[in-house]
Amino acid sequence: MPATRTPALELAAFAVRDVVAGTETALNDGVLTVDAVGLEASAADLPGVLGMKVSLVRPGESARVINVLDAVEPVIKPDAPGTTFPGALGSLAAAGTGRTHRLEGAAVLATADFHGTYDVTTLDVYPDGDSFVDAAGPGAPFTHWSATHNVVLSFRCDPAVSPAEADASIRRSTLRVARELAATTMGARPRHVEPLDLPAVSGDLPRVCVILQVASEGPLVDTFLYGRPVRDLVPTLLDPREILDGALTAGQYDWAGVRDPTYFFQRSSLLCELLHAHGDTLRFCGTILALAYWPSAFDKERSALLAARLAHQIDADAAVLTTFQSGNSHTDTMLTCRACERLGIRTVLLLAETNGGLTDHVPEADCVVSVGNEEELVPEWRPERVVGGERTWSGRPAAEAGPVPAVTYLGSLCQLGDMKLRAVSW
Amino acid sequence: MVIKVAHYINQFFAGLGGEDAAGAPPLRLEGAVGPGKGLGFEVAVTLACGDDYFGEHEEDALAQLLRWLDEEKVDVLICGPSFGSGRYGYACGSLAREAARRGVPAVCGMHPESPGVLAAEGAAYVVPTDAKVTGMRAALPQMAALARRLAAGETIGPPAEEGYMPRGLRRNEIADLTGAQRAIELLLAKLAGDVRTEVTASFDDVPPPPPIADMADATVALVTESGLVPQGNPDRLESNRAHAWLSYSLEGLAGFEAADWETVHGGYGTSVANADPNRLVPLDAVRHLVAEGRVGSLHETLYTTTGNSTPVATAAKFGQEIAQRLRDAGVQAVILTGT
Repeated sequence: MPATRTPALELAAFAVRDVVAGTETALNDGVLTVDAVGLEASAADLPGVLGMKVSLVRPGESARVINVLDAVEPVIKPDAPGTTFPGALGSLAAAGTGRTHRLEGAAVLATADFHGTYDVTTLDVYPDGDSFVDAAGPGAPFTHWSATHNVVLSFRCDPAVSPAEADASIRRSTLRVARELAATTMGARPRHVEPLDLPAVSGDLPRVCVILQVASEGPLVDTFLYGRPVRDLVPTLLDPREILDGALTAGQYDWAGVRDPTYFFQRSSLLCELLHAHGDTLRFCGTILALAYWPSAFDKERSALLAARLAHQIDADAAVLTTFQSGNSHTDTMLTCRACERLGIRTVLLLAETNGGLTDHVPEADCVVSVGNEEELVPEWRPERVVGGERTWSGRPAAEAGPVPAVTYLGSLCQLGDMKLRAVSW
Repeated sequence: MVIKVAHYINQFFAGLGGEDAAGAPPLRLEGAVGPGKGLGFEVAVTLACGDDYFGEHEEDALAQLLRWLDEEKVDVLICGPSFGSGRYGYACGSLAREAARRGVPAVCGMHPESPGVLAAEGAAYVVPTDAKVTGMRAALPQMAALARRLAAGETIGPPAEEGYMPRGLRRNEIADLTGAQRAIELLLAKLAGDVRTEVTASFDDVPPPPPIADMADATVALVTESGLVPQGNPDRLESNRAHAWLSYSLEGLAGFEAADWETVHGGYGTSVANADPNRLVPLDAVRHLVAEGRVGSLHETLYTTTGNSTPVATAAKFGQEIAQRLRDAGVQAVILTGT
């Protein structure tokens, strides 16, 4: 990190301990009242969207949310609300500095049944697999949003309009609702304020960077940086606080468990832990955004080389390599690992396993964190309520889906390292 | 609790003979035979089969042995111990796997490098033993203890605690720390010289044999998993999950003609390969090198299969069988084309 001082990002937390429906959206004493009718009306004229329904799902409820696209923590920039989620929702401004209000313990979940509305196989790359959030039952520990008070926005797409256009409306509308819910904190006193600073630290603590892998394969399988797809991205250096403050948003709906939902960019355990450790056990020297799912060996080698070169230029002694999805992207992670190690940058990798399998491996990958086994079945659970649709992708009633693989749960095996899941030999 | 036990052994331990009896078909014997007498509990039935018979008639042998297991309604199946024996181990692992998948818990004993470990596919439990038969005394009580617990329907703990080999399963558990916290911990430890990992790649590490001194003296064979077969696929090689490898004579062929050969592989676009099958398996080039005297001779048999979604245990078995034939034929080098 350059010695020039970026003012600290201040995350002001407002705790939410319940969410209820009402006539006016407000936060009183930890109870978030949601004007569902008003929110639904706000989505009335979106291109590609026929309608949107608001449902509230609380922790411990016998409820399953299906067709979940993304999860977002409600936030607002109180001093410039119009720059919240810059580029993706608000006007352009550098994220990661100044104050941000967040609704701690609340989430906005967006759902849409793309599979039931469109023939997604006509897309170059199309998302696959069910995406569940169970508020209770055996699947609850597999998803972060079993523990949050959720405002679920279920969008009905217009089959006459392209899925890309419908999705653009859904993403924007979801971020707008997230901002609107957080607007209830304007003028209120936060429960606590967390300053995230990155002061220059001298001494010989190791300099650690993150190489954060993202992917961008087209509509429904995309990641957005300041509102634009990261497609063809050359490895790019970001301040970790930009990511925590809404510079990255998700639009990627392939295998639910190995997605990086927007919420995990906002609350990244990895970035927060490194910021906390900065000056104590290490020096956090930056976050490099790097693309995966490159289509050719040449492109993969090139991106790995450039990411490692950038890490070298910021004097990193070591790097944490995250992975996005699995299969193809494991090769990107492995090549980046090798490129770093060849430059003397020590690496640790975060990887999801498929029944013990890795698609690729290099001998340099001697330090790997398992975020779990995608394929292991989670026992059957029959919720009383299903939100976001009626049937699974295979056509079963969603309340009788039977045992499902762990990867079915949103963010269960997120390779940014936000969950506590891991796989062990047995 | 009285448990009903079946025990599987090969021709040698059943007292039928050594290699001379390896072709013996499946056999059912009452009570304990050979090593079964040392298990410490009553064996209801002993099943036996010659190792070669099992290898050459796997489907039939398995069907017969499983039929007997069904009839006996046993609580548990014990196989071996087969120690370092490859063929015996493979039979033990395969039978144990199939029994376990039918609901009869199964325990094998074998050396960790036996192909039977892979054949068991994690469905059956494998107790590691010595490579030699002198390990019998140590192996039997361990196998028996695990079998007793399985028969009683007890929950079996992790491999290190229970004394069996990891079954290749990766079970999810909730750790104390997030993946990110563990990553930072591991990275700082690595920087301090303490390299640890939660994931070990399970790829084979095959050491290359010494180089061939003079190719002009060498016999070269062609082996492929590209699914190359004679036009019409007379032996019905599968396009994925192949159950067999096949061999075809190359005598009199200068190269592969598109009119006579095709690929049935289901894992890649085949039009370019079918236009000139020599680009899958370079018969034309090898013939040319032999004519020039740069390669001694060509082994006149092509070994072929489809490598597509093939279970690792099956692929390992194919490889061992083909390699054995190549060695028996005095082949020094192989051009192995993969797709």
